[in-house]
Amino acid sequence: MGKGMAKKSRTGEGPAKGLEEDITDPTHEDEFTEDLPTCESNVGVLFRERERRPAFLEMLEGPGAPCVYMLERVEMVVGRGAEADIQVDSTEVSRRHMRIGRAGTSHQIQDLESRNGVLLNGVRIHSASLHEGDTLQLGNAVFVYHEGQR
Amino acid sequence: MNFFVKFWGTRGSIPTPGSLTQVFGGNTPCIELRVDDALFVCDGGSGLRELGLDLLRRGKSPVVAHMFFSHAHWDHIQGFPFFVPAFLKDSSLIIYGTSPGDTKFHKLLSGQMESDYFPVAFGDLGARVAPDDLGQAGKRIAGVEVRAIAQLHHGPSYGYSFEKDGRKVVYATDNELDLELENAAEVAADPDLLRHAPRRYVEFCQGARLLIADGQYTDAEYANKRTWGHPRATTCVDLAIQAGVEQLAITHHDPLQSDDKVREKIEACRARAQRLGGKVQVFGAREGMELKID
Repeated sequence: MGKGMAKKSRTGEGPAKGLEEDITDPTHEDEFTEDLPTCESNVGVLFRERERRPAFLEMLEGPGAPCVYMLERVEMVVGRGAEADIQVDSTEVSRRHMRIGRAGTSHQIQDLESRNGVLLNGVRIHSASLHEGDTLQLGNAVFVYHEGQR
Repeated sequence: MNFFVKFWGTRGSIPTPGSLTQVFGGNTPCIELRVDDALFVCDGGSGLRELGLDLLRRGKSPVVAHMFFSHAHWDHIQGFPFFVPAFLKDSSLIIYGTSPGDTKFHKLLSGQMESDYFPVAFGDLGARVAPDDLGQAGKRIAGVEVRAIAQLHHGPSYGYSFEKDGRKVVYATDNELDLELENAAEVAADPDLLRHAPRRYVEFCQGARLLIADGQYTDAEYANKRTWGHPRATTCVDLAIQAGVEQLAITHHDPLQSDDKVREKIEACRARAQRLGGKVQVFGAREGMELKID
């Protein structure tokens, strides 16, 4: 592990407990469109709760998977290089492949001109805001972004 | 050459902020295109406010923006009075019409800032806000070929294409494609048939790396929204396949669609593309997403 690298821990316990109830409650979806007079409000009452919540990347595929990287710093770099905060030992991953940084209540990612790009839910992007459950693919490494404690 | 597209507003009709729309976003339409140092802006919905703030954060001054509007319904112009660069005296905003001498959008932007509607008058903006037009067949702006096409909407509306060095992006929102299908009778009988879009739309979108298209409704929703000016998202898939488009970004999401509903809509589009044998990659446009056009 390079100097300053993110803490890495093995996973396998399944999804972090309590995540689902913090985000959209799937049980009111039908009410939203089919029963307008009684549908729940879409007003952003959850934003304060989400503020500064911890977040982590769960690595599902790739060298060292499965494991979890807590996003503890304001800004971190994922890459193959020794200086990367989250180091992925794969030739399909560039030395400095992607930046991930806190932006408001969420995290923002940016492709650092990597050779194989960053796929967000299968779409190659240059930059984007992340949301619970987003899948990121960097070469042969696949991560899922989670908000909350693991 | 650097060519970037960023979504600042992807919601149709009215801003829809809240916990159910966090992923795809609640701001009304605004798309930023950056081709090298040139800035193009499509539509001025509430997302334009966010773009304005971001331009200031980037520190690039003065702001010179070439601005295009699909039409002047509220959701496409309501962000303009809150576009901070418009208040800065060094900024230069060029508002394009779609035919020679067409200053309609410039006038309508001015009109929505009359005192009955807004406290700051258009004439008091610090920026130079000037009309221009795309001429008869389009215009080369900062090395980018820009063309417009009239679309079927209450108004009507206009789609735009931006092309440089073979890289083409089309922005085509608020277009009820379903009312102009060339094989309407056949597809009414068999919804799984390829819906033939009018030839002129197919040609306009031909070979685009990215088509950003209005896909407001699911098939089920459209049954009750026919003639409201928006198509089934699945019909955009058929247009993209016929035009050989590489990527299709479905945008102008209905305000009643939660994030999960938008995901279902996009999955239906992907399933249709696969069923029709299309190679187009379909995704839901979401706020903050930025693509590099290679």
